[in-house]
Amino acid sequence: MSRTIGRRDFIKTGAGAGLTLVMGKTLLAATGPAAKAKAPLVGVGVGEDYGQAAVKAVELAGGIKKFVRKGAKVALLPNVQSRHPGSFTKPEILRAVIRLCKKAGAAEVDCLSWQPVKQWEDTGLKAVIESEGASLEIFEKDEALFKPVPIPAGVALKEARILSAFYEHDVFINMPITKDHAGNKFTGTMKNLMGLNSPANNRTFHRPNWKTDPNDITHLDQSIVDLNKAVKPALNIVDATEFIVTNGPFGPGQLFRPQRVVAGTDRVAIDAYCASLWALRPADVFQIKLGGEQGLGEIDPGKVLLKEENI
Amino acid sequence: MTGSRRRGIAVMALMGGLILSGAWAVARVVQDDLRALLPAGGDAWGWVKDGDPQEFAGEDLYTYINGGAEIYQEYGFRRVVVQDYENAAGKSVSLEIFEMETPAAAFGIFTFKRSGQGKSIAVGAGAELEDYYLNFWKGRFLVTLTGFDETPATVEGILAMAGAVDGKIGEKAGKPDLVAALPAEGLRPQSVKYFKGLLGLNNIYPLYTARGLTFKEAARGLYADGETLILLDYGSAEARHDAWLELRTGLEGSGRFEPAKNYLGDAVIFQDGKGQFVAFAEVGRRLAVGIHSTLEWAWTTAARVR
Repeated sequence: MSRTIGRRDFIKTGAGAGLTLVMGKTLLAATGPAAKAKAPLVGVGVGEDYGQAAVKAVELAGGIKKFVRKGAKVALLPNVQSRHPGSFTKPEILRAVIRLCKKAGAAEVDCLSWQPVKQWEDTGLKAVIESEGASLEIFEKDEALFKPVPIPAGVALKEARILSAFYEHDVFINMPITKDHAGNKFTGTMKNLMGLNSPANNRTFHRPNWKTDPNDITHLDQSIVDLNKAVKPALNIVDATEFIVTNGPFGPGQLFRPQRVVAGTDRVAIDAYCASLWALRPADVFQIKLGGEQGLGEIDPGKVLLKEENI
Repeated sequence: MTGSRRRGIAVMALMGGLILSGAWAVARVVQDDLRALLPAGGDAWGWVKDGDPQEFAGEDLYTYINGGAEIYQEYGFRRVVVQDYENAAGKSVSLEIFEMETPAAAFGIFTFKRSGQGKSIAVGAGAELEDYYLNFWKGRFLVTLTGFDETPATVEGILAMAGAVDGKIGEKAGKPDLVAALPAEGLRPQSVKYFKGLLGLNNIYPLYTARGLTFKEAARGLYADGETLILLDYGSAEARHDAWLELRTGLEGSGRFEPAKNYLGDAVIFQDGKGQFVAFAEVGRRLAVGIHSTLEWAWTTAARVR
């Protein structure tokens, strides 16, 4: 099922009127001292069957039931930025994740987006959503459909504007594809959250007139890190199967095929792993470095529990 | 109201209408011109338009290339037309024609987008065919054709349409002069990249500072023995002098570069986080940057421009 939602439709549901704010603890992973003391776990499924690789990655990351409880409303955020090969989350991975959520007893699985429905059609993701009985909810680029979310610890970004419908869900699974990015070299879990933030707010991540401030060349990366302080996925499942390593994020570009799906809760650790797949040094990628420094996760591979398995 | 005043108002209204319709007509002509570059029936045998073309101009490019528009803007983007094509076998090809502000901008974004590992094709002023896509530039235009598989039929369609668009673009222009300043001996031609700003430069070699990187244009070439040469052109020797002082300070304070112990006279050489040596040579209005795994070669690379 898919539908396009405008301001009027959304207010009817109640979320636009501020009736729901269910993110709280249900969307957040454990943050207590005991949890912090544990090394973050990153699961990696490797193989030509990308759906099975996704299943394996989630299993290694703790299993889907650790993240999705029975009756939960699940929000998924695949990347549909472009239809060029290696620039969007693979349909077979989305299919596998929808099935996992349903197997765990999810009451509802929704893909949320403000990207045009054509993107979802051209990438084949819409067909998967429909065939698996999930929902595609497309929102107009209307600021009224986005909830202001203050970021007290924000350095460059003090307020995010997150799709209000997001807060109607119990669990958020972030599903980017890792790839090249012309603006800051790398896209992964953290950058993908721009797909939940309003386009107008995202525009502030980039400098006016596209000029780089000599004293602030990390503005885009810092904005991404700040956005990630406002929203924390319960689980990240990253398509690192085939992706572009040039001319990102839109493509077309040179394809690299490590045939991996990566899952876990620690965005910095996952992004560091994905960057290293194509010989980027995580510390050289500002968003990963800043994310590590500002408490979003672990950049040191020696402090990460990595579980890789072939399928 | 007097008769002459009424006539005056009528004349003004008529003139206003003419101006408005004239402006509209100009806008239409400009828009139609870009669409006129799209292959029509018969231009690329067996391939027909699939749906309507889309156009984006100026900052609206962000709507089309969400998240990836800034590099086009840095080079100088004017507008793009996008059209899908299909053949009887159900194969699809997407055609994008980017109109940039100058031929240098078109050449620059062409060099930015190519991987340097594709096959050179005799289309436009320069073309590179990768597994499933092709880029070429000509005049102020960058043309990108993307297939959605790598089958011979799709690649044949890409080539046919590239030829058709090439034939419709009347403009011609040569590469920017700065590119010719890269010494030819040992240069791998497809490695050449041309930049108009820091986004592009950071993409191929980040200097982790923007201080002093206020260059007007830059070019990068890779050489046979693993050397990298980057030329930064500041427009004047004075501007280069001031920028170099800034850049040097920025590098020293970046925490990413260590001054290398060197025995090469007045050479300024740093070592980056990967252990590569980065040498700087001042050459008139340009700053030459040589990068290599050995200190001597890094300096030789930078100094050869002198």
